[in-house]
Amino acid sequence: MKTDFGDIQLINRLSEGDKSALYQLYDKYSGALYGVILRMCRNETDAQDLLQETFVKIWLKIDSYDASKGRFYTWAYRIARNTTLNSLRNRSELIQNEDLSVYDTKAEIKTGQENVLLKGSLKKLEPHHQKAIALVYYRGYTHKEAHEVMGVPLGTFKSYIRQALIQLRKSYANEMLWLWCIFEIMV
Amino acid sequence: MMEKKRILEEGLLEQYLSGELSPELHRIVEEALHQNSEVREHFDLLEADFERMGMEQAVVPPAQIKKALVKSLEKKSMVRIDRTPIWIAASIAILFGIATLWMFTKWQNAAGNLKVLQEQTAELQERMYTIENNYFQTSLQLRNINNPNVVPLVLYGNQKSPNAKVVAYMDHKRKAVIVNPQGLPVLPTTKTYQMWSDVDGEMIDMGILSPDEELVTLKYIDKAESLNITIEPAGGNDHPTVEELISFVLL
Repeated sequence: MKTDFGDIQLINRLSEGDKSALYQLYDKYSGALYGVILRMCRNETDAQDLLQETFVKIWLKIDSYDASKGRFYTWAYRIARNTTLNSLRNRSELIQNEDLSVYDTKAEIKTGQENVLLKGSLKKLEPHHQKAIALVYYRGYTHKEAHEVMGVPLGTFKSYIRQALIQLRKSYANEMLWLWCIFEIMV
Repeated sequence: MMEKKRILEEGLLEQYLSGELSPELHRIVEEALHQNSEVREHFDLLEADFERMGMEQAVVPPAQIKKALVKSLEKKSMVRIDRTPIWIAASIAILFGIATLWMFTKWQNAAGNLKVLQEQTAELQERMYTIENNYFQTSLQLRNINNPNVVPLVLYGNQKSPNAKVVAYMDHKRKAVIVNPQGLPVLPTTKTYQMWSDVDGEMIDMGILSPDEELVTLKYIDKAESLNITIEPAGGNDHPTVEELISFVLL
């Protein structure tokens, strides 16, 4: 898998017990992981504790990371997701209701929780694609749980996810094209 | 490849990404990722999109979280436990323990066997010494009697002891007398046989004979004219009791 070379060097240092390597990985990935955790638990205090717990686990378990099996972000994402889900289960706060309007409208978001709204290219997706991605990757639902929440067959839900990711890829490609054009104009 | 089709069509890679697959499906996907380049390329793109999506949805955490992380790692001196070496070390320790126990048992058995062997060796050495000693004595006696200078003399019992028969080996050159008294009848414990040499009519004591002994060396008396055996009180007598003469032989 295509783990960034810089990441590999940091991971090697981390494996040797170099804490500064962990802090550099924190600088790079804490935002993305905090975005996942915060959207899953929707409580900033809890999310901050869980982010810290996630990086402590990364520090403790780095020897179990195998770069040949996937990117560091994917591995760290799974730790963050599982840590948050365990915390939510322990507090019996994982209520699988169908009120997922938080992903659809601002009206359901409490004041000060604007951070939990999806943004960027995700917002440009069709609502059902946006919701499918949000459920699986930002709420911690499994595919089987999420298709029931959305009220569509599992196969249909899987195609939502696939189509959403393809749309995202196109969107990112267009962004890259725009950036390239702007760069060319500036040059 | 059936697994490739299944993985791509059933959206298993998307589920693998979030880590929600069962252990069995997780293993199948990981095998396919290692063995099938098309599945791997598909996953590489998926991961790249996923990471980009993550970065796009990033929320900057408050600065105090990093400070708290640094503090927790530095202050608690949190040591990462590398489980693999511990298990290896534990396995080696267990193997070492078993090997040590086995070696100890073997050592104990060997020590026991060694002790038995040492006892047997000591016993054999003692027996060999006894046999050697007996052999030496027997050889010496044989050499003393199987000699051209030795004259064997047979003393038959008279009417007082008709069954008595004694063989005396006289070596005049070496001035030695060896007697085989085993042909003498057993006497009461208060009595003993005594041998005398007759020199010019005087009986000179040669020594006591016991039927228990095979060969007895007695005193050689010069110029003896005959050998005589009498029955005397236990312990021997200074003078022969001629009434108790049971045998004699002229030289």
